[in-house]
Amino acid sequence: MKKLRKTFFPLLLILPMLFLSANVNAQSDPTAESPATRTYAIQNATIVQAPGNVIEGGTIVIENGLISAVGKNVNIPAYAEIIDGTDLFVYPGFIDGMAYTGAKRPEQPERPRNLFTPDPPNEYAGITPEKHVVDQIVIDDASISSMRKLGFTVSHTVPYGRMLPGSGALLLLTEKEHADLMLLQEDVSLYTQFAGAPGAYPGNTLGIMAKFRNLYRNAELSKQHSEMYASGPAGMERPTRDRTLEAFYPVVAKQKPIFYNANTALEARRAIRLKNELGFNLVIGNLQQGWDLVDAIKNSGTQVFMSLELPEEPKEAKEEDQTEEVKQLEERRMEFYKRYLTQYAEMKKAGVKFGFSTIDASAGKIKKNLKTLLDYGMTEDDLLAALTIDAAELLGINTITGSLEKGKLGNAVITKGAYFADDSQVKYVFVDGDKFDFEVKEKKANGENAAPANAEAIVGTWSYTVMSPEGEQGGKMIIRMEDGFLAGTLTSNDGSPDNDMQNISFRDGELNFEFSIDAGGQSVLVLVSGPVTGNEFDGEATVEQFNVSFPLRATKDEAK
Amino acid sequence: MKKSTLLIAFVLLVTSVVQAQVKKGDVLIKNATVITITNGTLENTDVLIRDGKIDKIGKSIKTPRGVEEVDATGKFVMPGILDAHSHIAGTSINEGTSQVTAEVTMEDVVNPMDVSIYRALAGGVTSIHLMHGSANVIGGQNETLKLRYGSTNPDDLRFEGAPRTIKFALGENPTRGGRARGIQPQSRMGVEAMLRNSFSEALVYKKKWDAYRKDKSSKKVAPEYNLRMETLVDILEGEILVHCHSYRADEIYMLLKVFSDFGIEKLTFQHANEAYKVAPELAEFGAGASVFADWWAYKLEVYYSTAYNAAILTKNGVNTSINSDSGELIRHLFHEAAKTQKYGQLSDNEALALITINPAKQLGIDHRVGSIEEGKDGDIAIFEGHPLSTYAIPVMTFVDGVKYFDRDNDVKDQRIYIDPESTIETVQIFDAHSQHRCMEDAEVVNFYDLFNNK
Repeated sequence: MKKLRKTFFPLLLILPMLFLSANVNAQSDPTAESPATRTYAIQNATIVQAPGNVIEGGTIVIENGLISAVGKNVNIPAYAEIIDGTDLFVYPGFIDGMAYTGAKRPEQPERPRNLFTPDPPNEYAGITPEKHVVDQIVIDDASISSMRKLGFTVSHTVPYGRMLPGSGALLLLTEKEHADLMLLQEDVSLYTQFAGAPGAYPGNTLGIMAKFRNLYRNAELSKQHSEMYASGPAGMERPTRDRTLEAFYPVVAKQKPIFYNANTALEARRAIRLKNELGFNLVIGNLQQGWDLVDAIKNSGTQVFMSLELPEEPKEAKEEDQTEEVKQLEERRMEFYKRYLTQYAEMKKAGVKFGFSTIDASAGKIKKNLKTLLDYGMTEDDLLAALTIDAAELLGINTITGSLEKGKLGNAVITKGAYFADDSQVKYVFVDGDKFDFEVKEKKANGENAAPANAEAIVGTWSYTVMSPEGEQGGKMIIRMEDGFLAGTLTSNDGSPDNDMQNISFRDGELNFEFSIDAGGQSVLVLVSGPVTGNEFDGEATVEQFNVSFPLRATKDEAK
Repeated sequence: MKKSTLLIAFVLLVTSVVQAQVKKGDVLIKNATVITITNGTLENTDVLIRDGKIDKIGKSIKTPRGVEEVDATGKFVMPGILDAHSHIAGTSINEGTSQVTAEVTMEDVVNPMDVSIYRALAGGVTSIHLMHGSANVIGGQNETLKLRYGSTNPDDLRFEGAPRTIKFALGENPTRGGRARGIQPQSRMGVEAMLRNSFSEALVYKKKWDAYRKDKSSKKVAPEYNLRMETLVDILEGEILVHCHSYRADEIYMLLKVFSDFGIEKLTFQHANEAYKVAPELAEFGAGASVFADWWAYKLEVYYSTAYNAAILTKNGVNTSINSDSGELIRHLFHEAAKTQKYGQLSDNEALALITINPAKQLGIDHRVGSIEEGKDGDIAIFEGHPLSTYAIPVMTFVDGVKYFDRDNDVKDQRIYIDPESTIETVQIFDAHSQHRCMEDAEVVNFYDLFNNK
């Protein structure tokens, strides 16, 4: 008896933890939703192990979080749940190279009273490289389930913030009780962007570039000092702690890359300029204008995650407005629209290996955008590579995921019909060996972004007016339903560029959304919320950065 | 022998790949009236440009094989116009959040896709001094550019080897920022104190680093690195030319005293509407002035002014230039220069020097541009009519012997990148945005701008 206890006691300690990671409901499950087994076999399916490597009528076994077998003749354990794979396609789980998936935007730091604008506190300046994205992760954030539903299983999630918000982490897009359990790897990158502090240093690109150089040089000196001190402290000035600089040590040692959110060609060139000057490992994320950068990227050894946000196809003017000049201008605009789309295939052809970043792409548009890229020269294999193995290699996780091979993580997306076919449908997604079933309504799917049944009521075109202190401003607020999610655009009567409405939710008669505007290189977030009564929206627009609000009212246009 | 030739070829190949691929051209401009600026005006003269440099100036030069010929009979050829004060081709202008930002540099924000560059070329301009704004006492470093329009790489526009320059600002602009933010400086006294404090701090910084570098101890610890102080030290050591925004004679004189005290010599005053009052003092110091022809009264400190400013300064021996500070004026700087003939009777050569060799000296690039001389860069403007005539029309502009503007071949839509989501808007001849960028980003954001995406 004593001996038994001795053998089992350590197990007793470990057991709850095992259950915790296996399934949150396993210990006591009044809902009876917990799976009977964590072993699954998908039989007789088309298995795309990696781009160009297809097994017809194959079987894949996922057991306790790992792929335990893939092939034509595979032994299926007796305790496995068997899924009939006829008509099903199995792909490696997708990997997102840079996103906010799972992170919640923290409150904007309040402007301190009597702020000394030339030297604001780091918190206000947005220089907090010592922070970790894990602290912003909300385990049931709707972005996790919406990205998972598209087939994404791993996200390199970066923190919200300003110039240097903190470290990014590789997040498994699964459901767990605690963010720690969803982490594939922590602190894999130092995230940075051209986002200045409102009215304080560094305020824009000028200050940000200089500040970055200054921080980096001091991090080098500080690292050197602390290493010298560690090897022989006697007689040496004691190094003072500086968590901001310490966060750069692994970057200086080239153990951790800088992930630069660089959207435009000029931003990307600036990031590369810093890399060339200072020598760190650079990954550019969210790139939308890469067609002139192939040489710069290759010569500098920079890695790239291309944006999955694509421009909207331009609409031509009405026939009667089409003067010769308008026609020419429209032609050139179209030429550039195409350039944004063909660059993906061109860069691939030029030998730039890239993955995708969804940081600026709304979940509702991603599948449509992938298909658009198919029309502009990317092959299905190219797309799949960027979504899986190439992204895994760039992130240094290709030994554990990125393809369907024995021993890799049980990350897979299973579709009825080929993923990129028009009528395909995601049936299952496996993350870390856990099955998410989309045949029935997804568990806990009623996240913030998912549209409730009555959301159709707000879909349509609205005419809005903003009563700002500077006068009235109006335009159209167009709300759409895209793949079960609300999406929208704000147009402006004065011809300013459209703004995408983000994080739209409509619940209990209350409409909430946000949009950001670029004010001289400084991004300003506007939050809008208010009740919808019939065809009237009585909203309030708030700019937290400046702590001001003003009315935004809209009336729904009558359907013709 | 063979081996070493190969090696040289390889080294050449590598260096040409590493350096920015700047285009150099060959052209023979025939039978023109050549206004050399430094060596008189030559009738019926040819100018041969080979590989981007002026190779030969003379009569009846034989056209080398493969070189394009331009018949300039009846036309005027002058050095490409230089604008010593410009804010085109920059994505940001001010880091206005701090009153000393010597560490920031316009080099980081060059926008080669700005269509204003083409408009400037169409006005005979070949180089600009892209300046930081005037929101702060010691603003950012400027960048001298060659207008090689068409490239999307900012490095291709860099004026290779041009000395570093920096923007300073006195008077109402920096004090307005100071008062708005509740920080120094809030008065002209504060401006001077700030300058003196900054340089004194820089001296202390330099001392610390000098001591560290001299220290032979293995236990020595490096002082904190400060890019701002590094830049100020470079100014004190004469490596950076100072270009200072200023209007009033008293503040101009103040800066002369401060610079004398700190031993800084290379100085040009920008705007300097009251410089004529201290012209002899400027001449004695050796400071330059870069002014408007006849623009003033846009704020209190610019009321006391005169269109004779440039002429008075010139006659007093001050190296003077006329600048644009604007995306519009830059297109007719030759008209601006001509105004000094009505107000001050400057000679043709004196007037044209204001937009060629004089700004070249102020920017430290006069050994390369600013006049038509053998060995200098092939930066050339060709005019129909004398450039100082009201009827002057620029017809061609060359940078490094490459033609970037040709009036006969002027494609309407010169944009390099186009936003596919942009609306096709009515074309505006007057673009308010290019007009006043001196204080951009320095003011508190207002809601009108927010909702207009400016």
